[in-house]
Amino acid sequence: MIENLRTALAGARFELRVLPRSPGDLMALVTAPVTTIVFLAITQHAGRHDLATYAVLGPALMALWSMALMVCGEMIDAERAGGTFEALVATPARPLPLLAGRIVVVVTVSLLSFAESWLVAALVFSIVVPVPHPGLFVAALLATVLAMAGWASIMASVFVLARSARIFQNSLSFPFYVLGGVMLPVSQLPDWLRPVTRLVFLSWSSDLLRDSLNSVGVRYAVPRIGLVLGFAVVGLLIGRVLLNAVLNRSRTAGTLAYA
Amino acid sequence: MDNAAGEIPAVDVRGLTRCFDTGSGLRKRGRTLVAIDGIDLRVDQGEVHGLLGPNGAGKTTLCKILSTVLLPTAGTVRVLGHDVRTDTAAVRAAIGIVFGGERGLYGRLTARQNIEYWGSLYGLRRAAARERATELLARVGLADRADERVEGFSRGMKQRVHLARGLVAEPRVLLLDEPTTGMDPVASRDFRVLIEQLRNERRTVLITTHDMVEAEQVCDRVSFINGGRILATEPPSVLGDWITRFERVDVAGLTEPLCATLAGQPGVGDVSRLPDGRARFETTETGAAARLVTELVSHGVTNLAISRPSLEEVYVHLFGTNGMAVRR
Repeated sequence: MIENLRTALAGARFELRVLPRSPGDLMALVTAPVTTIVFLAITQHAGRHDLATYAVLGPALMALWSMALMVCGEMIDAERAGGTFEALVATPARPLPLLAGRIVVVVTVSLLSFAESWLVAALVFSIVVPVPHPGLFVAALLATVLAMAGWASIMASVFVLARSARIFQNSLSFPFYVLGGVMLPVSQLPDWLRPVTRLVFLSWSSDLLRDSLNSVGVRYAVPRIGLVLGFAVVGLLIGRVLLNAVLNRSRTAGTLAYA
Repeated sequence: MDNAAGEIPAVDVRGLTRCFDTGSGLRKRGRTLVAIDGIDLRVDQGEVHGLLGPNGAGKTTLCKILSTVLLPTAGTVRVLGHDVRTDTAAVRAAIGIVFGGERGLYGRLTARQNIEYWGSLYGLRRAAARERATELLARVGLADRADERVEGFSRGMKQRVHLARGLVAEPRVLLLDEPTTGMDPVASRDFRVLIEQLRNERRTVLITTHDMVEAEQVCDRVSFINGGRILATEPPSVLGDWITRFERVDVAGLTEPLCATLAGQPGVGDVSRLPDGRARFETTETGAAARLVTELVSHGVTNLAISRPSLEEVYVHLFGTNGMAVRR
């Protein structure tokens, strides 16, 4: 357990060093403020000041998902392309804690998009979005980071196991923006689609975050946080199975590295 | 089986076979390529063992199997008594691997950060990893460049970082896959000094190369591998013998009658014409090149050059004409 924790910390330190030197991986943090401006401009022009919360929260959640999908999803493949994956596998360090440590850093850094969105709203539109339930807001963010890390480890493995899945990687953004309640609450979606959204952890996260910005009381906050954490555990468990499958298949087929 | 001193071998390979399916897609059903074909190899602890062979001979495949990143198709492979298939954790803790080449390092990190990271993956604490990185980078001659990003390094400098990475956990068995590729002569000499230090520390080193001179200079024993098979295992002194035995003498301005006369001399093997018109004599015994040169000079022919044989030529002489074919 302690060894795994140390490995995760080593992965986190590594990512903290690499990420600031990889501008392409931080592109979502560049687009988040711009998207916020677009969304707020539309809602304000339409006179829907009540939608300012959605316009601020949406771009931040989009950045969160985008970095998990593009940066974390590429992690194993990038190691293979860089010729480092074989040497990594040949070390005594367990791959899942290492990957998880790196992913948590990426997802945590993507939280900067929340600060960006709030700042843009305040500086460009003079709109201050209050956070009436700061404790719930922070707890929901932390749970979301962990759930995102778990599911990012699945994506990282799937994109190696099924090469064809990468074809859909770019198109996985907008369906999840809808199913995850990123752009608008899932309660606004058609009835037949709602059960599907409940299988996407992001829909629970976005509802919680949105509720934490609402001045009325929040119902079932703790069980809902627990559910998001449950998604995190399930994600990590599936990620572990898939990562082992990646390693076993690659060691058998000789495909740990690209030629 | 243990050696005379009762030590388990550092590397013990028995009947190892590794096949690859060359097909693609989910249902791979292409041709089967036999990369390693039933080899046996034993390397004792503290030995510097060379694996000499051309591209595609199976050297890298063997290194990958020894380092647990590739599974054998058949046979058993043990490192310090640990099976690479079932005792992967023990094997990984005992070995260091240098795959070498342009890739395999994190270009956006400095050399020091690279080594510290790899150290942490072997369980070194931060302070220990930092100390080890400083020590190793000095040892491979990169102390002054330790805090520069690796992406700006030359191939030879990257190779030094690879070496430092391989040594970060002070491994008992070090696998070096073509470690001097891209190194300049000074760096190659430093590398030989490093291997000597490792020998004195009684570490086991398995080094793959296609450089006969390098193998002769650093190894205790050399195994000749080609086509996935070990053709012979010899002391390195035989390499020196082969190098002088299979020398080449290239001569310009040689008349056909004199060429024919010299071709019949003892110790002269094949004679051919190079594209530029020079005649090439290939010798087959030690001293034949010197006799040939004496004879040529006595006939007033002085535009000549002696060169060492390539590995390909030695393989052709020793193991047949198909010795260097890269199999498909």
